[in-house]
Amino acid sequence: MFMYQKKLQYPVRIKNPNPMLAKVIISQYGGPDGELGASLRYLTQRYSMPYPELKGLLTDIGTEELGHLEMIGAIVHQLTRNMTIEQVKAGGFADYFVDHTAGVYPVAASGAPFNAVCLAVKGDVIADLTEDMGAEQKARVTYDNILRLSDDPDVNDVIRFLREREVVHYQRFGEALRIASEKLDQKNVYAVNPAFDK
Amino acid sequence: MDNTECTYKQGPLPGCAPLGLAAMPSQASSQPAYSNAEALSRGTLFPGLDLPFMNIVNKMPAKTTPLRELMALDFVCNELALYLDTHSADTEAFETYKAMLKLYEEGRNTYASTYGPLQRSDMAYAPDFNWLGDPWPWDFAKEG
Repeated sequence: MFMYQKKLQYPVRIKNPNPMLAKVIISQYGGPDGELGASLRYLTQRYSMPYPELKGLLTDIGTEELGHLEMIGAIVHQLTRNMTIEQVKAGGFADYFVDHTAGVYPVAASGAPFNAVCLAVKGDVIADLTEDMGAEQKARVTYDNILRLSDDPDVNDVIRFLREREVVHYQRFGEALRIASEKLDQKNVYAVNPAFDK
Repeated sequence: MDNTECTYKQGPLPGCAPLGLAAMPSQASSQPAYSNAEALSRGTLFPGLDLPFMNIVNKMPAKTTPLRELMALDFVCNELALYLDTHSADTEAFETYKAMLKLYEEGRNTYASTYGPLQRSDMAYAPDFNWLGDPWPWDFAKEG
């Protein structure tokens, strides 16, 4: 089960409203490589994982990603806090605003609502861990691109933290794949799927 | 395998690895490590994994706060937990992890008695049901 900690993993303190920036950062809330998809991907892939290291790592990284989802929600909330209707119009935020006002809703920057297709649970150890490594890289690039688009130091401070977490998670998933491969047939790691074949 | 040639930004690869599979070098050690405060600012405890975009890194704030210090402790605990998930036989890292967990537990109790609960069990000795006290984590705060 989960227990709430009434604090963020890293401080989010954004002074100035900026709906244009909110509209791109919301992609890390509900977009294809966002934190909602990440947390659900890892917490859902856990069930078929055969080795304790993989169960533990997916649980722990999936839980951390829920904390990142909360941080992204806090960023979007603070970027849209106290915004004027003129800022909504000037920032290209009207199409989000008409459906969600200043609420936080899981959509991609393009406006497409969250889609579970991005979870990718294959039920195969090598396929799922390789997917997770790719997912961390895609999230890292999304944060790189946000850093290219944003000139708000309050925002960039948080984005740099979140981006670096993707690099660390990528390393851990790579190590998990190595651990898994060492338990497989060394002559042919694809001989069976240990998540299904007993 | 002899990896004395590897710097802290590199990692050793095994002499033999299966072909047809992505091969990540395993982090050799939980050392060197940043201080708690620097780890939180940079987003990792480990200098070897600290690979910032455009080489721009977060500046540490001029003055810290009790909440930020607690976040830093919790962050180091989390970072060590992920490391231990793939390095469960590293007894030295586990001893560091245990010491950090104790510091976090003590720090959280002290913080909660002054500023209110961070988790529900912090209310075991609270004078009233102070779970609802502001600020909530996503609220804007000038300091914190």
